[in-house]
Amino acid sequence: MSLLQIDGVEAGYGAQLVLRGVSLTLAQGEMAALIGPNGHGKTTLLRAISGLVRLRAGTIRFDGQRIDGRRPDQVVAAGIVHVPQGDMLFAEMTVLENLMMGAYLPEAARRQAERLEQVYALLPKLRERSGQIASTLSGGERRMVGIGRGLMAGARLLMLDEPSLGLAPIVIDQIYQVIAGLRDAGHTVLIVEENASRIAEHADRLHLLDNGAFAWVGSGADLMSRPEILATYLGG
Amino acid sequence: MQIVASGLTLGAMYAVSTIGLALVYGALNMLNMAHGAVLALGGYVCFYAMAVLGLPAIVGVAAAAVICGGVGLAIYHLAARPMLNSANFETQIFIATIGIGTVIENVILRLFGPQPKAQPLNLPGALHIGHVAIPLQNVLILAVAVAMMASVAWLLGRTRAGRAIRATAQNREAAQLMGVRIGRVYAQVLALSGALAAVSGIMISSLAGLLPNVGADPMLKAFVICVVAGLGQVRGAVVAALALGLLESAIQYAVGVQYSFAILLVIVIAALIWRPYGLFGRKQVVRL
Repeated sequence: MSLLQIDGVEAGYGAQLVLRGVSLTLAQGEMAALIGPNGHGKTTLLRAISGLVRLRAGTIRFDGQRIDGRRPDQVVAAGIVHVPQGDMLFAEMTVLENLMMGAYLPEAARRQAERLEQVYALLPKLRERSGQIASTLSGGERRMVGIGRGLMAGARLLMLDEPSLGLAPIVIDQIYQVIAGLRDAGHTVLIVEENASRIAEHADRLHLLDNGAFAWVGSGADLMSRPEILATYLGG
Repeated sequence: MQIVASGLTLGAMYAVSTIGLALVYGALNMLNMAHGAVLALGGYVCFYAMAVLGLPAIVGVAAAAVICGGVGLAIYHLAARPMLNSANFETQIFIATIGIGTVIENVILRLFGPQPKAQPLNLPGALHIGHVAIPLQNVLILAVAVAMMASVAWLLGRTRAGRAIRATAQNREAAQLMGVRIGRVYAQVLALSGALAAVSGIMISSLAGLLPNVGADPMLKAFVICVVAGLGQVRGAVVAALALGLLESAIQYAVGVQYSFAILLVIVIAALIWRPYGLFGRKQVVRL
């Protein structure tokens, strides 16, 4: 059975409709990627799942339960964590305080010591930086804190919004090592990525979002054999 | 020494009322213009409990804190919450709270009349240190203010609710994504701010007497302090409040009472030219 099932979702901001009938299913342990040009609804889909944007139509089911219409905190409690674009750390808190905020809900708080060790094992840099104020970190370190903070919740579905955006190539390599580690550890991940050829190596499935609807869905290998898609949507 | 003592008392009173304002701005981006009226209401509730009902001081203070906390909750549920999703929330809530403040002041005026009343909570006597006499009332005010500030610091720094408040103030959306129910945080912050305003109102009226508009001057100063410290900066607000209190009593002593506010404002303007985001502020855009 699929862990996440999205059917005919429409959503937008004000008068503007951004998602025009999106459907997607994600099974336990899968890694799926949302790819496509900017401004076509990738981030909005994540925000709709996490309850930050209201649906105009359609349904979202998580583990069989309807979660559309719930508040963001209820979606987190259901087991979905959204690591937003551009870090969004708590700038005046330390790295450790940021990570602990990830385990804010009571169920996660009970296991925070154990999870913190897991996060430090995956992202050893964070242990060195634990006492540092978040706003003084480098871009790559901030991204690591964002991912680590998301993992602290112990979510069953992790959503990452452009984890490699705006980072130096060498730091992107580190982030992708972390992403590969997440997949190998059996996490269910929905990841938004601009860089399609990079994520194609890792994701089980790629969903190409164009103008609020999926224009193409397939595996990474499929995508590499379709140069016309790469050329049309992804700039080569 | 005398100046330092009265300056610290003044600053401590300002600090308690400013913390509430700073917390609310930090969490909701809301300038609560009803803060001064809530302050006055706290003073009157304590007066009524002690002078009319003959209850002990501690009950008067507690009643004032509870009632003003309730008023804060009402402001959240009746005014702030319906407007939260509006694009012009900051302007709308600014105007709405001016209205709420006016209503509260007029209710007080209707119930208690325009004549000044004396706050019965008063500690006679003085503490003598060398040849300086510090009224016990000032000592009490200082002690209560320090206790309040320490409790707020403990709440924000050490408790789960406090962490949620700080997270919401620093990044509202990220806090939601961590599972923080921000509606509840907003309600808590407004209730806390109301209770702090009540205590501050009692302290101020115990020195200055009770009038329906007794909160206007402290609120104005609380705003000045908030702006100087950087809007939403709680720790900065405490430091700025103490500095402003000391400065005010020094100016009053050296130049005269009538010049103190004007000179304060000149210093504030200079400070803001030097640091436009406030002494402790981050670089951020405040839409107003």
